Amino acid sequence: MIKRLAFAAIALALLAVIIHSCKKEEVNIPAVEPLKEVNGSWKIIKATRNGTDMTSRFDFTRFRISFSDSTYTIANPVPFIVAGNGSWKFDDGRYPFIMNFRAAGDTLKSTEIQYPVTKGVRNIILSFSPGCKLNTYQYTLEKEN
Amino acid sequence: MKSLSQIKGDSNFKRRIPAAEVDQILYVMKFSINNLKPEQARKFQNYFIRIVATLIVVVIISCSMTIDSVDQPTSINGGETLNVTLHLKIKADASQTSKLMIAILVPKMWNARQKATLTFTSEKTTGVQKMTVIPVGTPAPQAQGLDWPAKIAAQIGSGGNLINDWEWVAFYSDADYSVANEPEFKATVNVSIPTTTDNISFKTGYVVANSSDGLSGSDRYSSSFPGCLRVLGTGDLIDFCNPQLSSVEPRTALDNDIITLNFDGGVTSNPLENVSDIYLCAKAITTTGETLDACAATVKTKLTPLGARRFRIDLWPRDFFAVPAGKTLLRLEYFFTNADGSISVGYGGLSDPFLYTFNCN
Repeated sequence: MIKRLAFAAIALALLAVIIHSCKKEEVNIPAVEPLKEVNGSWKIIKATRNGTDMTSRFDFTRFRISFSDSTYTIANPVPFIVAGNGSWKFDDGRYPFIMNFRAAGDTLKSTEIQYPVTKGVRNIILSFSPGCKLNTYQYTLEKEN
Repeated sequence: MKSLSQIKGDSNFKRRIPAAEVDQILYVMKFSINNLKPEQARKFQNYFIRIVATLIVVVIISCSMTIDSVDQPTSINGGETLNVTLHLKIKADASQTSKLMIAILVPKMWNARQKATLTFTSEKTTGVQKMTVIPVGTPAPQAQGLDWPAKIAAQIGSGGNLINDWEWVAFYSDADYSVANEPEFKATVNVSIPTTTDNISFKTGYVVANSSDGLSGSDRYSSSFPGCLRVLGTGDLIDFCNPQLSSVEPRTALDNDIITLNFDGGVTSNPLENVSDIYLCAKAITTTGETLDACAATVKTKLTPLGARRFRIDLWPRDFFAVPAGKTLLRLEYFFTNADGSISVGYGGLSDPFLYTFNCN
């Protein structure tokens, strides 16, 4: 009985020492949304026209758009926001909702974007009207490895 | 054996009743009913029948609505206002306060949501009563969250229009109206819709209901489809009414859109009806009068079979016809052919080409 009491007392004392020795240290790490990175080559993995899935009905497989800092180049074009190569810019680098394109010699064209991560892979979803404004297309782009 | 009153007064009654005691209770009830005197049995039977009859009456419609007739012209010049009169009969079996609902089936190009006006008169109201369009997304009654256009489209349909470019537009009366158990009365609805100059054939439709019953019962609403309206406008005929050998989607497009040319070889007898490989032979005309041809039977011009003698081809006109920079396409003239071009089908299955004019109206 006395041994048990003694053991308990020692355990409590040790616990008190451990708790007292743990110092709380406040570290102020400001939360900063990272800039969205799109440099690289992107391909179309899904395309719709007025909500109808056109992915397998029209050949989008060879299309590539390559972003490099503030410029882009297009290979094997398909109906798109712009017809040629040029410059691009997000409306907000950390919280983008709009992607602006300006093909060489052309006016500024803007498109709404979504920037989700799907199955661990970053996608860019663009919504635009390349022809008649009554028709809306949505392309889902995935970065090539 | 305990009587019912003894069982009821038993403090154990509220606890779980042993099976043996349940049997006792049922026996007592059955014994009691079976041993009613004839007069008592007849009274009980009458009382039971009255209860059942009342329940049946409760579920009977409280307000029936019928479109008795529709006055609509068979044709109209494009750009003029289409004036239609609906003659309704309304009967209320019970008291109800609700709005009158009228929905019209129209081609989207008319923008009826913004431009149509509806009014009505009736034997129960004084003067012209106004109606206002119901905003899209406003839930219809007893429609599981669907708005009136969606509910009507799902339950009543598209009136047989074969091109998917139509819409239901619904209107409520500005005022609520109270009706009670009273004889049938009449109402007259005046529909006024400015049309566009598009050259179309379209099957209009009309639905009448009220803001309480919705489409919850077959005689709580009424629909009418008066037939194919011909709008004599300009440009290629857009025929919503009749099956077509060929159609193009989207209905409006420019040369930088992806367009789909459909061929329905089963619609009517034609020289290609027994041919399995169908090709497109097309000519594109620019706004400055140049002609660009794509008529060779290749992988590029071959249509995709869809079954049931239907085929389609999806193409990007600017790329398909190699349109030079700075040029714009005005229209297409096209045929469908077999592999060697010896059989060719155009408009009406004959020798004139199908036409598609690029536009964004």
